[in-house]
Amino acid sequence: MYEFEYVRPKSVAEAAGFLAANSDARLMSGGMTLLPTMKQRLAQASHLVHVGPLGELKSITREGDALVIGSAATHDQVQGSEVVGAAIPALAKLARGIGDPQVRYMGTIGGSIANNDPAADYPAGVLGLGATVVTHLRQIAADDYFQGLFTTALGEGEIVTAVRFPVPRRAGYVKFAHPATGYAMSGVFVAETGSGVRVAVTGAGNGVFRWAEAEAALAKSMSPKALDGLALDASHFSEDIHATREYRAQLCRVMAARAVNELLG
Amino acid sequence: MPDHAHTPHAPFQRKEDRRLVTGHGLYTSDRTFAGELHAVFLRSDRAHAEIVSIRTDAAKAMPGVHGVLTAADSTAAGMVKVMCMLALKGTDGEPPRVPARSAFADGRVRFVGETVAMVVADSVAAGLDALEAIEVEYRDLPHVIDGGRALDAGAPLIHDTAPGNLCWVGEAGDRAAVDAAMAAAATVVELSVESTRVIPSPMELRCCAATYDAANDHYHLYSVTQGVNALRLQVAFAAGIPESKLTIHAQDVGGSFGNRSPHYPEHCAVMLAAKTLGRPVRWAGTRSECLASDYHGRSNQIAGKLAIDKDGRFTAIQLDWVADMGAFITPAGIASHTRNPVVLLSGVYRIPAMHGRWRAVFTNTSPIAPYRGAGRPDVNYMIERLVDEAAAKLGMDPADLRRRNAIGLDQFPYKTPTGTTYEATDVPGSLEKAVLLADWKGFPARRAAAKARGMLRGIGMATFIENTGAGVFPKDQVDIEVDANGMVHAYSVAHAQGQGHETTFTQVIADAMGIDTANVLLHEGAPDHVLIGNHTGGSRSLVGAGSVCKLAGLKLVEVAKSAAAAMFDTEPSQIDYAAGTLTDRVSGKSTTLAELARRPEGLKTQAEATIGSTFPTGCHIAEVEIDPLTGTTEIVSYVAVDDCGHAVDHTIVEGQVHGGVLQGVGQVFCEKAIYDEETGQLMTGSFMDYTMPRAGMLKHIVIDENCIPSKINSLGAKGVGESGCTGSISAMSNAMANALRPLGVPPMDMPFTSSRVWHAIAAAGGLK
Amino acid sequence: MSRIELTLNGKAVSADVEDRTLLVNFLRDAQQLTGTHVGCDTTQCGACTVLVDGRALKSCTLLAVQVSGAKITTIEGMANGEVLHPVQQAFSECHGLQCGYCTPGMVMAVTDLLRRHPKPTDEQILHGLEGNICRCTGYINIVKSVKRASELMAAG
Repeated sequence: MYEFEYVRPKSVAEAAGFLAANSDARLMSGGMTLLPTMKQRLAQASHLVHVGPLGELKSITREGDALVIGSAATHDQVQGSEVVGAAIPALAKLARGIGDPQVRYMGTIGGSIANNDPAADYPAGVLGLGATVVTHLRQIAADDYFQGLFTTALGEGEIVTAVRFPVPRRAGYVKFAHPATGYAMSGVFVAETGSGVRVAVTGAGNGVFRWAEAEAALAKSMSPKALDGLALDASHFSEDIHATREYRAQLCRVMAARAVNELLG
Repeated sequence: MPDHAHTPHAPFQRKEDRRLVTGHGLYTSDRTFAGELHAVFLRSDRAHAEIVSIRTDAAKAMPGVHGVLTAADSTAAGMVKVMCMLALKGTDGEPPRVPARSAFADGRVRFVGETVAMVVADSVAAGLDALEAIEVEYRDLPHVIDGGRALDAGAPLIHDTAPGNLCWVGEAGDRAAVDAAMAAAATVVELSVESTRVIPSPMELRCCAATYDAANDHYHLYSVTQGVNALRLQVAFAAGIPESKLTIHAQDVGGSFGNRSPHYPEHCAVMLAAKTLGRPVRWAGTRSECLASDYHGRSNQIAGKLAIDKDGRFTAIQLDWVADMGAFITPAGIASHTRNPVVLLSGVYRIPAMHGRWRAVFTNTSPIAPYRGAGRPDVNYMIERLVDEAAAKLGMDPADLRRRNAIGLDQFPYKTPTGTTYEATDVPGSLEKAVLLADWKGFPARRAAAKARGMLRGIGMATFIENTGAGVFPKDQVDIEVDANGMVHAYSVAHAQGQGHETTFTQVIADAMGIDTANVLLHEGAPDHVLIGNHTGGSRSLVGAGSVCKLAGLKLVEVAKSAAAAMFDTEPSQIDYAAGTLTDRVSGKSTTLAELARRPEGLKTQAEATIGSTFPTGCHIAEVEIDPLTGTTEIVSYVAVDDCGHAVDHTIVEGQVHGGVLQGVGQVFCEKAIYDEETGQLMTGSFMDYTMPRAGMLKHIVIDENCIPSKINSLGAKGVGESGCTGSISAMSNAMANALRPLGVPPMDMPFTSSRVWHAIAAAGGLK
Repeated sequence: MSRIELTLNGKAVSADVEDRTLLVNFLRDAQQLTGTHVGCDTTQCGACTVLVDGRALKSCTLLAVQVSGAKITTIEGMANGEVLHPVQQAFSECHGLQCGYCTPGMVMAVTDLLRRHPKPTDEQILHGLEGNICRCTGYINIVKSVKRASELMAAG
């Protein structure tokens, strides 16, 4: 790692102020992606501003018809949270499948969606549930937030403080885990929400996306069969040594059907 | 089912366990040295290029930097050689072409990860900072990463001294007899397979450290190793120094599987730095460095033909084998992928006519060294895939085809047409045990049940034979002595990397001497016991050094008897020995080993033996279920029946089988080193892309033994370190082929990744 | 540089560390606790796992400054004098280790696994071992070791 200074702010406001004053400083939440990247000298920072331990970012609460998860809530917290389990069990399951036990203790929802790895799980949950990303400055709808490969609507120094999930009627998430990393090689989140059926796909392409045809079909009939033969534009799907484009498309279809089965219980 | 938990010396606890489970092992990177410096390497980031210039001035001037070394230094120091264990002339009359290899790439880089320069600094961080200041100008050259294509006319030439990229070509067997048999055969089965390139990846990262004693012009090298003798021989050769000027130090080694046996350029590099700078120099590799520059394993492309007569009897086998050596030779790289397959060309079968051609070739990839099995799994994979294809073609039960052709217990010693004499073993018996344990007969019902659930089920069998025990050194010696407290100490130059020698070898000695194992200690690679003997590898250590431990224990008793006789003024024949106590049968006087050891001359001796090859065998059966929607495979059952000769400790034998089987499973399903054809870059450069098998990949395994003790060593041991791998690669692949065959999927090769399997199913038209 | 204070295997430790120092390097280099190993660069192999306030974390992906104030237990702190911790005992009894390099990380991960699931199901065991790689054992005897450790701990 290159040299940097470790900073532990006492509040989000302090962290935001520090980031504003130091353009080469970087925010660290759980550090599960940032530290390995820095270890390989692929990233550099003057300061690491560590907001992971901030209590104000760790709460998980039910607020009416919304579930609000603080950005520094760890995957372990989310998977084990009774509040999450009662409100959106599919989200608890999603968290339970991220990384491994050691990583789940440290990795956070805020870190995951700020990084927006195209194969990360949380983006599927956030987009699939039509959640709102809350930052220290504003609220961003999931549909506007994710902007492709490692890109989000976040501005310089903008800190995600929470994610507000409208509680769906039912939801399901199933992923095909990458054999080496456990990331999604295709992961599909299906939710039946107050504003209709939403289907979000991660791991297949350059970033999480909604599968419009599946949403329309499932809105008519919430059953795996409804997905049979649906159009799926795989032209933007990724292809690598682990999976071809066609195979990722196949996984996408199969995971979607399995997610529907999960939703149906 | 006999899922044995034999524990003859219960409760099971290896002698090495206490230090290893408490964090008190001493691995090479745990060692520190007063005044030490840290080395980091600049490695080639391209597959093949001319080095136009290297500028190190800026790096040398960086804070904390003590030196920057390049080929200019290593070549001037004469560190330019690579040892090659194979001296045999090939069929073109030429011995292997062994290109020089300086500790740093000299004038040209030939694979991604090759050492180009080294910074020696106060800390790793300072070294890494300086690495970034080294400027290398390259002129790219065309590259070739595939063994078969390296032989194509017009392929990029990797070494000027190896025209056509050919390293060595050899033939074995009788081509005319094979041609005649093929022509006369009722059925000929042909298949081309690749035993894929894999990266051994022991969990301990490769590392080494050196100190230099200027007063005595002597190097001390601390390294991961499989045996200090082999490493000393090789490193001294590579460094251009006499062996007497080098001492190798090692205690605990965190896995190896063949990979820690050869010498590496980093050895010479740290030695040169230690000498040049007059300070101890340490290097600890990162995983990405190790994946790129640890020697890889396998990478053999094999075309095979099997001829069968009208009665289903094998009449001839022929192989055409391309052994990818990577960019340079490693000491045993050629031999393991040419000699071992020749020795085992007959498999476990009676085949009257055999012929094969082996071509070792250079490619722009990391060099190839032995990896668990070292050519044995590769040849077995070819033969066993052919046998299953033959069974399918003939409409025969693969078990019946093997029954018809396997060498029976009454036919040993069996001499194969390529000149190997197999020791007695009972493959048909192992097969019958395995088919019962695996409920082979019940498979059709299980397949039908799986089909009803939409799943593809397959079963696959492999029988195998391996040559183990013979070594590079002419004999294996063991020193044994008793200390003043009566503790027996044995010294060997075999070197465990997880095999548990401290437990099994001391058990052997304790049994030979009728004493408690608690009173025996084993020391491997002790620097002050310079012995002749082989390193650990090729499943040989119990057969070799282990069996000599028995001889040493027995000999020590005789020496003690003589000493006691002298003490009591009688003849050795009058001394009774039991459990460490020696008694004069006439006078009734007695003494102990401890008392004899306290005499000025002490109590010690040395034993030795020259040990040739023995032949462990086995029959493994795998059963799999494939989800045709995703191409994922679940291993639903695995049965391993092995003949490992006399087993000293069944728990350790089972552990070896477990680990070997899963390493084979890894190669079959997920592990493959992949270089990008266009760029020559290693695509599997971290554990994010090189898929290591995880817990749960193999959930159950049923193990049984069908052992016939070997006659070529005093223990009757045969060796079991590699059989798991050799059996599982073939059995698993045959199970996969069996599952896919009803769909019309043509014979598919490793790796059976979910993506590849799904594509194969889709290409065949999907589930019918 | 930052001053850190922590409890390491029951002892109070304070030290000045560079902010970029990883916990694993602090343990191995500054504290000579070499039982904690490094096996990869990508937070996957788990050889570096230690307990931080009772939870198994990968010390290769933690800064030493991050854990100031915490209670750290490494493999060296598991046995009670001559008496092995039940997880250590179980690995030895079940031949759950061969070369031993992954073992310290395995022991720490399994200790946490059993804290969360004192009587784990097979599924919980496999899920709990996802963060640790072993190259020698085929994991068969590691799974057995987890079950044995559960029994030993239940027996007190």
